[in-house]
Amino acid sequence: MDIELTINGETATVEAGPEQDLATVLRQHGHIDVKCGCDGGTCGASKVFVDGEVRMACGVAATEAEGSEIRTVASLGTQDDLHPVQQAFVDNFAVQCGFCIPGMIVQATALLDENPDPTEREVREALDDNVCRCTGYQKPVEAVLDAAGRMREEGVAADGGRPVGGEPADDTAMGKSADAGGCCGGGCDE
Amino acid sequence: MSDDADPRGDGDAPETDGGTASQSDAAEDPAELEQYPFEWDEPANNDLAPGERDSVSQRAEKYDDRKLVTGQAKYTADYEARYPDLAYAAVVRSEIPHGRVTDIDASAAEAMDGVEVVLTPDSEAVPDAKYTSAGQSYPEPSPWDMHVLTEHVRYVGDPVAAVAAEDAETARAAADAVEVRYEEYDYVTDPEAAFDADAPQLFADEEVENEIVGHDYDRNRMANIEGELGDPESAFEGDDVHVHETEWETIRQSHANVEKHTSLAYRNEDDRHVLVTSTQVPNHTRRQLAHLFDIPIRDIRVKKPRVGGGFGGKQAMVVEPIPLALSLATDRPVLYEATREEEFYAMRSRHPMKVKAKTAVTEDGDIEAIDIYALSNTGAYGSHGMTVAGNVGSKPLPLYSKVPNVHFEADIVHTNTPQTGAMRGYGAPQGTLALEGHLDEVARDLGLDPVEFRQRHYMEVGDLDEIAGMMGGEGAKRRIRSCGLDECIERGKEAIGWDDIEQPDEDHLHRGVGMALSAQGTGVAGDELGAAQLMMNEDGSFHLQVGGVDIGTGADTAFLQIAAEVLGCDEDQIVVRSSDTDVTPFDYGAYASSTTYISGMAVKKAAEDAKARILEWGAKMLDEPAADLDTGDGAVYSEATGESVTLEDIGYEAAYGDEEREHILGKGTHCTEESPPPFAAQFVDVTVDEETGEFDVHELVVAVDCGVAINPGMAEGQVEGANHMSYELAVSEGITLDERGRAEVSDFDEYHLPSATETPPIESILVETHEPTGPFGAKSVAEVPTNTVPPALSNAVRDAVGVRIREMPITAEKIRAKLDER
Repeated sequence: MDIELTINGETATVEAGPEQDLATVLRQHGHIDVKCGCDGGTCGASKVFVDGEVRMACGVAATEAEGSEIRTVASLGTQDDLHPVQQAFVDNFAVQCGFCIPGMIVQATALLDENPDPTEREVREALDDNVCRCTGYQKPVEAVLDAAGRMREEGVAADGGRPVGGEPADDTAMGKSADAGGCCGGGCDE
Repeated sequence: MSDDADPRGDGDAPETDGGTASQSDAAEDPAELEQYPFEWDEPANNDLAPGERDSVSQRAEKYDDRKLVTGQAKYTADYEARYPDLAYAAVVRSEIPHGRVTDIDASAAEAMDGVEVVLTPDSEAVPDAKYTSAGQSYPEPSPWDMHVLTEHVRYVGDPVAAVAAEDAETARAAADAVEVRYEEYDYVTDPEAAFDADAPQLFADEEVENEIVGHDYDRNRMANIEGELGDPESAFEGDDVHVHETEWETIRQSHANVEKHTSLAYRNEDDRHVLVTSTQVPNHTRRQLAHLFDIPIRDIRVKKPRVGGGFGGKQAMVVEPIPLALSLATDRPVLYEATREEEFYAMRSRHPMKVKAKTAVTEDGDIEAIDIYALSNTGAYGSHGMTVAGNVGSKPLPLYSKVPNVHFEADIVHTNTPQTGAMRGYGAPQGTLALEGHLDEVARDLGLDPVEFRQRHYMEVGDLDEIAGMMGGEGAKRRIRSCGLDECIERGKEAIGWDDIEQPDEDHLHRGVGMALSAQGTGVAGDELGAAQLMMNEDGSFHLQVGGVDIGTGADTAFLQIAAEVLGCDEDQIVVRSSDTDVTPFDYGAYASSTTYISGMAVKKAAEDAKARILEWGAKMLDEPAADLDTGDGAVYSEATGESVTLEDIGYEAAYGDEEREHILGKGTHCTEESPPPFAAQFVDVTVDEETGEFDVHELVVAVDCGVAINPGMAEGQVEGANHMSYELAVSEGITLDERGRAEVSDFDEYHLPSATETPPIESILVETHEPTGPFGAKSVAEVPTNTVPPALSNAVRDAVGVRIREMPITAEKIRAKLDER
């Protein structure tokens, strides 16, 4: 069946099977920034805002989201203009493989929106159902605390002060990697 | 088998190099000292003082981070949109622990709408060759005991059939609809029971090729290894020694890489087979697929996009043959993404082990002999069985290089349980628990300071380590040229507050501290190869092609920093392209803590090769001898005259000059016999409630000597992540199995990975030493902190309340039970 969603500010009609979860449907619609590392609703990598609430998209039936406003990590900032939380993750070396990071950043922005000055314990509690295998949570926690400080100093709202639905990063702005995004960079045989 | 698919051309399984014959070594003799000289012919530019480093040891931004934090980086599954004709795979797996498939009825599955094909062991597209999934070098030190799809199933999870369908849901439903009938055999899940001569037997001899030393399949033993130094037997019988013996047990740990095993296979317009795959070993995967499918190596291309964590689990070629076989059968691109449930029961895990440690120690605290014995449960198949078990001894034991008599033995046994494989630490966590827990117990028993007791026996610069090499195979004798253990201990003690722990006010709470040391290696000694190529563009920028594999560690960024340091330019002037077997030079892959050391040195050599040409062009343009020139700030400059010419001017001149032209290229290839150990000193601060056994770990402190950290921010991240994995080894159950060997966990909510609130703060301390054999003084970092929390926490609990937990995980129930026993 077709369902209507607003994804990062744009209205979209997407096809969704009765069994399909929201993460699968968003990904099929090109939103590869929504990751999933579990069999549904447990790892936190697929966290997105559904009508302002953080949900694991892979644990939500797509049909249940009919009519919702969805915001993914791509709505927060672009590679050239990162959201303070994204910037803090980069600056604090909080990213290793990066697979869990979209969900973690979505969760962190939700936390800072509600609580601009969290304690370390509160940050850990907020990230408690985001599974990360690379970092031991140390640098992500430091990054969120750093982001909170920056945002308080700069008076930035947790949504980055951007209108909901900032454009997702364009393929052409992907930096200098030859293999990490877009086409495979000249060695590709398509 | 074609010549291409069989590099040795003998059409048969290679001679095993798993041979690790027992041997004794005499003490150092002068000829040996000469063979392993301390002096190392290190180029001057390799040893830079901190102030001389422009790129190396700077906290350069990880080059792919901006893509990662915006969700724009591509992992394997993210390529699906590029293949409109993509089919999706699912695998039918054995529901029984042991038996033979008697019938597969795929008719219902094949009749489903959208099902393209169901493959069974007999299908033409399915290889019938035996292989190992290990992903090691060649000849492989793991037995060829597997089939891509198997009729003889040996654990709940063995692959029996595979489906390709229009979408993932249909593929899964079709796999569920395949009916498999079995003749069930007796099974055994306990490694000690499996070792009994009357136990059900998993393999007949003729079912295995490339067998490993010490195999005895009548007793389910896939290998036995033994090594000896000095005369431990006599030392244990000495009149003046205390003999202590302790036994330890470790869990079956899941890699729990958040990106599941994912692989996409297709045939391109040139009839070549392309795999986009989440792997740590593109070149080994290519070779293994060539063997299995009888396709020439040149006609297979393995490309690694971003990888969402590996930790050894993606060294194994676990999934790639499935989509390749389905792609061959359907002539469509096929994507196989394992389920999380499959990750826990059908991918790989850390070998659970029982390890015995025995020492002979004099009254004065001199260790006369150490003996370690490991019983390793390799599960249903033997990948990494022998080599991981070997590292139980060959990684931790060399730490105590002053001990004159050493014996190590391991039996590696099959059971009808899920497959094991390589995992970060690679046997060292199991051995380190036994050795470091044991030494703590001995020190307490003899009234010695546990730190001082270790310090009297551990490695120092100049030592000839004979222990790592005493079993042949992996590991070799090595001269120690860098060792920061003293400083690791000093700084770790200070950070944890070792000497001024305050006891809680409540009488039932007791605070204790524990410590443990560890050594690892840097690459497999004498069994590594990395290569890189550098091309200069006319604007003075570069393309770096390197076989080294970044699985999320930041290796690509380290390569950029190494190249930039040599070339004297900014990192962002270099485009890195890695891990694509058609395009990038050969590399063994990301395992054994080799990437920065081996592949990084190849990058350095390639950059130096290119730099030599750049200086020649600079010499011509500045009319000065090349020997007076160097690179820096994006230019070639003369120390003598102060004149300079930019890399851009050189690039244009070299490409478009009037008389002579040259594409400035550099190549580097690196192999070595060296494998210098990095070191870690772990400290744990714990409070235990003696009424309940509950404990609270306040902090993990781990100080690591990794030589010169190429990027300290990334290196700290490696240390912290490894220490978290080590903490899990100490406090979590891992993958538990039911009576039939079936994994009892199927998703993250059932697998107890310590969460953000359950993980103590981790303080990582980098202790810089200079390792002359490594690029700019670097050695490895990412494995050694995986080894140390289980013994350090066991020691801390012992310190706090006087009870010893030897069987991991350490739980409140176990502590309480031990307290009740007193």
